[in-house]
Amino acid sequence: MTALSAIAIRELTKFYKGSEELAIDHISLDINKNEIFGLLGPNGAGKTTTISILCGLFPPTEGTVTIDRLDIRTDHEKIKHIIGIVPQEVALYPTLTGFENLRFFGNMYGLRGKLLKSRMDEYLSRFGLEKFARKRVVTYSGGMKRRVNLIAGLLHKPKILFLDEPTVGIDVQSRHVILEFLRELRETGTTIIYTSHYMEEAEKLCDRVAIIDSGRIIAIGNPKELVEKNPEFKNLENLFLGLTGKDLRD
Amino acid sequence: MFKYFAAYRKEWLILIRDPAGLVLLFLMPMVMVVVLSMVQEFGWSTVSREPQVPVLFVNNDRDSVGDKFQTGLNEARIFTLISEIDSVPVTQEMARQMVLEGTYQIAVVIPERTSERIRAKIRLLVNKTMTSLMMPDQDLLAGVTNNDSVEILIYFDPAVRNSFRNAFLSATKEFNAKIESRMIFETFQEELRKYFPQFNMPIIDYEQSVYFTEIFPSGVEEELLPSTTQHNVPSWAIFAMFFIVVPLTSSIIKERDEGNLIRLMTIPVSYMTIFLAKVGVYLVICFFQFVLMVLAGIYILPLFNMPPLEIGTHYLAIAILTIASSLAALGYGILLGTLSKTHQQAAAFGAVSIVVMAAVGGLWVPVYLMGSVMKHVATFSPLNWAHAGFLDIFLRGSTLKDILPELIKLFVFFTVTISIAAIYRTIKPPIST
Repeated sequence: MTALSAIAIRELTKFYKGSEELAIDHISLDINKNEIFGLLGPNGAGKTTTISILCGLFPPTEGTVTIDRLDIRTDHEKIKHIIGIVPQEVALYPTLTGFENLRFFGNMYGLRGKLLKSRMDEYLSRFGLEKFARKRVVTYSGGMKRRVNLIAGLLHKPKILFLDEPTVGIDVQSRHVILEFLRELRETGTTIIYTSHYMEEAEKLCDRVAIIDSGRIIAIGNPKELVEKNPEFKNLENLFLGLTGKDLRD
Repeated sequence: MFKYFAAYRKEWLILIRDPAGLVLLFLMPMVMVVVLSMVQEFGWSTVSREPQVPVLFVNNDRDSVGDKFQTGLNEARIFTLISEIDSVPVTQEMARQMVLEGTYQIAVVIPERTSERIRAKIRLLVNKTMTSLMMPDQDLLAGVTNNDSVEILIYFDPAVRNSFRNAFLSATKEFNAKIESRMIFETFQEELRKYFPQFNMPIIDYEQSVYFTEIFPSGVEEELLPSTTQHNVPSWAIFAMFFIVVPLTSSIIKERDEGNLIRLMTIPVSYMTIFLAKVGVYLVICFFQFVLMVLAGIYILPLFNMPPLEIGTHYLAIAILTIASSLAALGYGILLGTLSKTHQQAAAFGAVSIVVMAAVGGLWVPVYLMGSVMKHVATFSPLNWAHAGFLDIFLRGSTLKDILPELIKLFVFFTVTISIAAIYRTIKPPIST
């Protein structure tokens, strides 16, 4: 682990009972502060398991993980205060308004009063949702839901933000706003761990990426440098397909 | 506490966003209590004010016994005797056929010469007695044979419950015994008048000399009559309260399916806070559901000619027992919602398990009527604890101190179920990999 590391992962292994293979097979890597780190891989590669362990949803079978120098096994509750999660599914209460959802999640982070209101106003404005804040989420478009989903993970201004496919299934405008925002967020000192199936998006956004398959890291580095090192592939998507194969995954 | 109240507010908002669902949560249990109490009252009550059960009555005797049977059964006001259908007298074959078809559940056939044969039997008996007193009367034996027994036929629909059949048979046998004993008494009187005409003995009406007074010991000054309402309303109210499990499990599974639980698990807030916020909201629902059901027992059931529910004066005990019962139901709901993988699982298992716990717990068939094994099993049902507590308060005038054992069991059940749910959720996060 270096002084720049926001997350240090060593020999991380996860084995599910009843499974014949390791879901994560001795992964080691460092994710630097103020970095947008892309975790890429086909379905079933181990991305969700890795993020779930990092978020403390379940413990690893073996290995160590420190987040901002806090051990996930012993300092799990402290870690919850410094991380933010934006799950792949829109994790909002559909019958509540955007405002009520954000107030609830803000409250759960311990935010209240003027501080919470100013944060909500700031993000609702930033994502163009002020006019819709008092409408029920169930009436929102897919892009609006994604934006509120993102805000819910940002209200407490986490040091480390996990984004699980935040732009899946949304319109170009919403995607543009979200990606622009993530770049800005990095400038303010937030470390972002991001998973996506959009290789072009990852190539443009991420400072570094790790390509995972069958629970192992098969490539890691700056997307541009990875492509340069493998001249037979013209872009990250070709590299990804070259490394993980073209067979369909479940 | 701040996070608890925020979660509490969120739960309320979700509930009130479905006003139809909220109204149904209050309305359906009330409707259930009223309807089921009425069904039970009119089906089983022994204190009915109006004749309830139609009985086909075929009087082939057309003499005193047949007539007395008819009058007596009519006066019992439990049965409506039907002797004619569309102005056609009911025959034995018609009665048998209609019971067979299930059109009527009971038919009574008084055979021909019933009165005559009973009288002959009695005369034989009286003659034996008079002979032993050295006062034989050969006139008494005219036309008497030893085989003159009478067979009254009673047809029962096979669907009639045993308990009802037994009740009907008991009532009929008791009534027959009265007629026979009265006839014996009258025959003796007539015979004695023959021997002692100078005394001009009056015809003495036989009067019952033994009466039964029913006493229901109660802790309250005014004795509470254990009407069917007193039994039915608490039973159905507890049953309905436990059905809160269905919407509660649905709320938990929905929260999980929407991905919100995963998000909450990564936020510095405990499962207990989330669970207890749900409990807090649904506890209010359960409490007012119970209040409405009790009010229905007091004010609505009498509108249908049923006795009102008497709840005594131990309101604090009732309130605390209602809270304890609600918590037991909610703890069970939280556990079920946490363990179930799908809505279908939770709804099916939740509903069926409550029916089983209600049946086992003596809500429908009193525990004292159960076999020894079932009596033992009943003591493990939280619905039984709640039921026993309410019956103690409503019927025996028990105080808070008296129902303490039931309260403790219900609170412990709540604590254990919600703790298991929290531990399970900690060990097994709701995430598919």
